[in-house]
Amino acid sequence: MTGDKNRSTEKVFIVEDDASICAGLSDLLESAGLATQSFASAEQFLGRWTPDMTGCIVLDVRLPGISGLELQSKLLESKIVLPVVIMTAHGDVPMVRKALKAGAVEFLSKPFQDSELLEAVEQAFALDRVRREKQDRAQTIELRAQSLTERERQVMGLVTTGLTNKEIAERLFLSVVTVKLHRGQMMRKMQAESLADLVKMSELLSHQENPRNPQS
Amino acid sequence: MNARTVRWSRWTVEFGLKPLAISTFFVLVALLWTFPLQHAIAYPFVFLFFGAIMGSAWFGGFVAGLLAIGMSFVTIDFFFIPPLYSISVGKESRSFLTAFVVCAIAIALVSSARRRAETAILIARDELEQRVQERTAELKHSNAEITERERQLRLLTEAIPQQIWAADAGGRVEYCNRDLLEYLGVRTDPIQGETFFSIFHPEDASLFRESWDGARTSGGRFEIQVRVRGGSGLYRWFLVRGVPQRASNGEILRWYGVHIDLEDQHHSQQRILSAYENLSRFGRTMSLAEMAASIAHELNQPLTALVTHASACRRWLQNEPPNVIRATAAADRLVQETTRAADVVSRVRSLFSKADYVREPTDLNQLIHGLSGVIRDDAIRRGVSIRLRLANDLPVVDLDAVQMQQLLLNLAVNGMEAMEGASGSKVLEFSTEALAGGEIQVGVRDTGPGIPETIRARIFDPFFTTKPQGTGMGLAICRSILEAHDGRIWAEAADSGALVKFIVRAQA
Repeated sequence: MTGDKNRSTEKVFIVEDDASICAGLSDLLESAGLATQSFASAEQFLGRWTPDMTGCIVLDVRLPGISGLELQSKLLESKIVLPVVIMTAHGDVPMVRKALKAGAVEFLSKPFQDSELLEAVEQAFALDRVRREKQDRAQTIELRAQSLTERERQVMGLVTTGLTNKEIAERLFLSVVTVKLHRGQMMRKMQAESLADLVKMSELLSHQENPRNPQS
Repeated sequence: MNARTVRWSRWTVEFGLKPLAISTFFVLVALLWTFPLQHAIAYPFVFLFFGAIMGSAWFGGFVAGLLAIGMSFVTIDFFFIPPLYSISVGKESRSFLTAFVVCAIAIALVSSARRRAETAILIARDELEQRVQERTAELKHSNAEITERERQLRLLTEAIPQQIWAADAGGRVEYCNRDLLEYLGVRTDPIQGETFFSIFHPEDASLFRESWDGARTSGGRFEIQVRVRGGSGLYRWFLVRGVPQRASNGEILRWYGVHIDLEDQHHSQQRILSAYENLSRFGRTMSLAEMAASIAHELNQPLTALVTHASACRRWLQNEPPNVIRATAAADRLVQETTRAADVVSRVRSLFSKADYVREPTDLNQLIHGLSGVIRDDAIRRGVSIRLRLANDLPVVDLDAVQMQQLLLNLAVNGMEAMEGASGSKVLEFSTEALAGGEIQVGVRDTGPGIPETIRARIFDPFFTTKPQGTGMGLAICRSILEAHDGRIWAEAADSGALVKFIVRAQA
């Protein structure tokens, strides 16, 4: 279900100044059932970018104004996490290394086979999907965690460090029965099926919280 | 009216009252002295009256003289001529009185004339004196003016941030301005005469002397670039410009020299030259590589488009059901793209056509002269002397001067590089020779190790090189330039060193 839903919003964003290649690329991608949107320059792409764009970018290196590789580093700077497929007519080793180091999914030398492009785009889509799923999951867990009471959060913290109910009760100066109650409530709210599941969630949470909300 | 009155009264004083007073005074004095003296002398004593007349004429002019004569006559007649104390004159005394009057008139005339002459002399002397004084003052003034002007001029030459010297007609340097002395690091000891030539680089001193001597015989100005040693012992490049100062008859009086610091300019010029050198040596292959890259890009773009259009077309057809409309559209674009690719190919072809060669009537000797100037500094740095053995009767040839210069430069640099480690004198020789049939043969010879016979035939092949850093394109380009000019190039066996010759035809 979710996969289909993603498919409908996923797009290939083509940044290429050569109109003919641009048309060919979007035609080819459309023939494979993919949605496309074309940009003639890096500036145009940055101008039209919105946070809800999903899919991947197919990026030419030689562009008027900001070059493809410059755009790639600009995307990293502004935390635009769309996967990038780089293509160029005259790539050399340092250029490939730079592009891949900056997180490019694939480096295509023009001219390339349609299968090469489609595989790269599929790979990029998959990456984007995993990223979004991760992001979605983190968001739902965070929502669940936000519904916890102060006590439940305390219990959760202690449970995930591996303490028993009895030890928790001692730490929090509560009875074991009360701890069990809080724990049950917390597990239900977090929709955790097991202790291992909860540990994973708490790891995700701490992971998410550290870089995203350093102030809280 | 008033002026007339004044003139009248002045006239009255000058010719009336003053002579009257003077003559009266002298006659009275003579009379008073004659009374006591007449008793001592028997004859009527009149000599003192002569004195009175002389004095009157001297001091009061001729008019006073006449008046004195009149008065003396009356007085003598009255007091000393018998009958005494009467105006009447006795017969015997008449001749005496006549003689007296005649003598008195003569005395008055002589005396007043003498006086006039004396006065004139005095006046003339005064005038002369005044004139002399005026002249002296004038001279003093103009002298001061000249000194001031000279001071200002000197100040100007000192103030100009330029090195200046002056020399006499024979070329003896007499004056160096402060800027020049400061640069030379000399303060007290003046740089004069022969020592002046020691400020130049030993290699340039004779050149400087030559060009100045040349200018002195031809009488024109001269200009030369030489190195001048500074106070720190370092040499800097200067443009020295010498200008003669001439008298109105055209004779040269002095020489003035200006030194213009060229060091910075020279540096940038050398940078340009070395860039030019690099360009000529590697530029061709560099631009070849770059051209290849840009052709690859130019071709890759339409190729990429072609491949993607073709792939899209196939995919539309492979779809279930096949999308013929989209497939046709893709196929249409495919066709369009083919034309674009063909355009690129024809553009590339036109790039390599011979239309680039611009042929103009060129004097090869002049070209070689120009080139030897370009490589002169490089040759000096490498310790290579350049020798030109150019034929006089060279016909003018139609050729691409830039390409030909590049060819010659290539050969020259090759020769100089070949002599890098060589011992003995390093000579790079250019020679030209007019052959029969309107052909010109140019030779470039060096005194390096020479070209081994085994590779002599291959040195003009592309990518053939014996240098570790060589591209193997230099001589290949030389050959292609000559082929474009319907000429040919070859290496010849030489007694020592390498000898490369080429031939171009006067009738292309």
